[in-house]
Amino acid sequence: MKNIRLSGKNILNFLQNHYDFVKSVFHHSKPEFIVASDVFDKFIADYNEQNEAHISVSKLIQVKFCRQLPTGDYKINIHYTNFLQFVFDDFTLDLPDTLKNRYQTIFQLFIDLKAESNELKINALIQNIISVIEKFLYDIHRQTQRLLSDTEALKANVEEYTNLTKRLEKAVFWIDEYIEPLNRILEKEHPQSFYYELTRIQAYASEKRYTAKHAQQRIYEKLYASAVNARNELDQNLQYLTRELKPLLDRIKQDSIILTGFYHLVEDIDNINKYGALPNLIKKSRDNVMFKGFQDNANYFIDQFDYKTAEAYYQETEDTMHETLPDSLYFKEQLIKSNQITDFYEWCFKILSEHTDNIKLHDFFKVTNLLLEEDIIAEYNLNERKTVELQDAIVEIPIISVYEVSK
Amino acid sequence: MKYPSEHQQIVNRLLKGKFIIYPDPLFNIIEKSEDYPDFFKYSFGYELNVEAEFAYLSSEHTTEKGTRDFALFLAILCRELDYSNENFREKVEFGEFDINETHNLLKQSSKWEILQKTSVEDFEGFIKTWSNRNLLKSDKGRFKFTKAVKIFFNYAVNLAEEKLQADKIQ
Repeated sequence: MKNIRLSGKNILNFLQNHYDFVKSVFHHSKPEFIVASDVFDKFIADYNEQNEAHISVSKLIQVKFCRQLPTGDYKINIHYTNFLQFVFDDFTLDLPDTLKNRYQTIFQLFIDLKAESNELKINALIQNIISVIEKFLYDIHRQTQRLLSDTEALKANVEEYTNLTKRLEKAVFWIDEYIEPLNRILEKEHPQSFYYELTRIQAYASEKRYTAKHAQQRIYEKLYASAVNARNELDQNLQYLTRELKPLLDRIKQDSIILTGFYHLVEDIDNINKYGALPNLIKKSRDNVMFKGFQDNANYFIDQFDYKTAEAYYQETEDTMHETLPDSLYFKEQLIKSNQITDFYEWCFKILSEHTDNIKLHDFFKVTNLLLEEDIIAEYNLNERKTVELQDAIVEIPIISVYEVSK
Repeated sequence: MKYPSEHQQIVNRLLKGKFIIYPDPLFNIIEKSEDYPDFFKYSFGYELNVEAEFAYLSSEHTTEKGTRDFALFLAILCRELDYSNENFREKVEFGEFDINETHNLLKQSSKWEILQKTSVEDFEGFIKTWSNRNLLKSDKGRFKFTKAVKIFFNYAVNLAEEKLQADKIQ
């Protein structure tokens, strides 16, 4: 006979008998735990096809597993989803604002407690605080567990997250939306944080467990124990958050950025310098320590020696008659004939001019060498000098007078 | 400028394109010296970069293709390590690689055709070249990255961020 009232056993039997159905609907519907009616019908049909024990929408509503929304969709009962999250160790993430609201309730209850003098109300408030702390701890715990398992999945399931941008986005989202706000809620030093409030509750309860009336001392003792326990648990969760989760996510974030950068490098190798400059390492230079500008100068200098012999083009020139000059004996005779000469070099020039128009240095010296003859005496006037222009040289000479020794 | 007794050693090593890495005593000398950046700038036209754990010379006018090849090698190695579910950064920063195994890993990559066109193709020669420059350390068929590899990670981060900015603007 069908029970009119729904008992705990009915619910547990339902869960046990239709565990697979419950599990697949749970996983499909999270995190909102709403299923479209056609999908829900299909779940039921598929399940009934494969199982002897059949289920129906009416039975599901009877055990309060779900209810139909005005839209036609089915919403899973929150008591089931809470329990199933625990059963499947698969928690949904609440936004930190939800958590914040919860701990703000504790603030308010604590303020009320301090102001309350009615014993019954004090008892009720303390029970309430203990209960909210428990719920809060449970929330924090499941959030942390969920984040840890998701982060591990993000780290390990490379195939699922081959899209680096998606991986990066997820890591950044979790850090910004969950880790940081959770950290703030649990920050030990911050006067608005849950952790700080717990410390105050603990101190208050600690004092009251000695100073309150005997009957109340026990309940304050409970509150004290609850606060101490909560702080220990939070310490552990904080450790997960700050020592494991945050660095892990930071690392995923950083690693994903590196891989993204490398991805762009490999995929766009022809435009390597379009984004981000490659490290400008220098080329290996020789042992010689020198300024690189020297190299250019040195190359320029060396280039001078590294030339090909210029090709020579000879222009045909008209043959000129080679002028023959008399030998030195002739000039000596002329010198002696001239008797005394007051300006020897001038005489040399003149005598040569009589034989050629192009007096060269070589010819000029041939005549001036007469000075070295033993029978010629020369007198030098060192103070006076003059310039003689020859064809291939200009010479500066002193004025010398000469005469024959016999004279 | 007061020259330390190791001056010639410092200058020769850096001009060979080598990294000088902590705890090499030469690194401490460079790190403490206020004169070396100007010395390299005015003597050779090079920039002396002193990071937390290593020092090296750079130049805006360099056209060193080897650096590009090394960046590609590291990029593809990290990609393959990531695909093999390895923590690529940990492996690169702290791990040791077998030269032949790494060569095979890269050859199996779909991106090997890119590396084939670079100096990475002669893999042992490539490892030797970069070991000489202290970006790698190799011994008995194995090699490790030195701390200097971080400049290539920084390069990747900058590249990703600049690309992201450019995409946003578009």
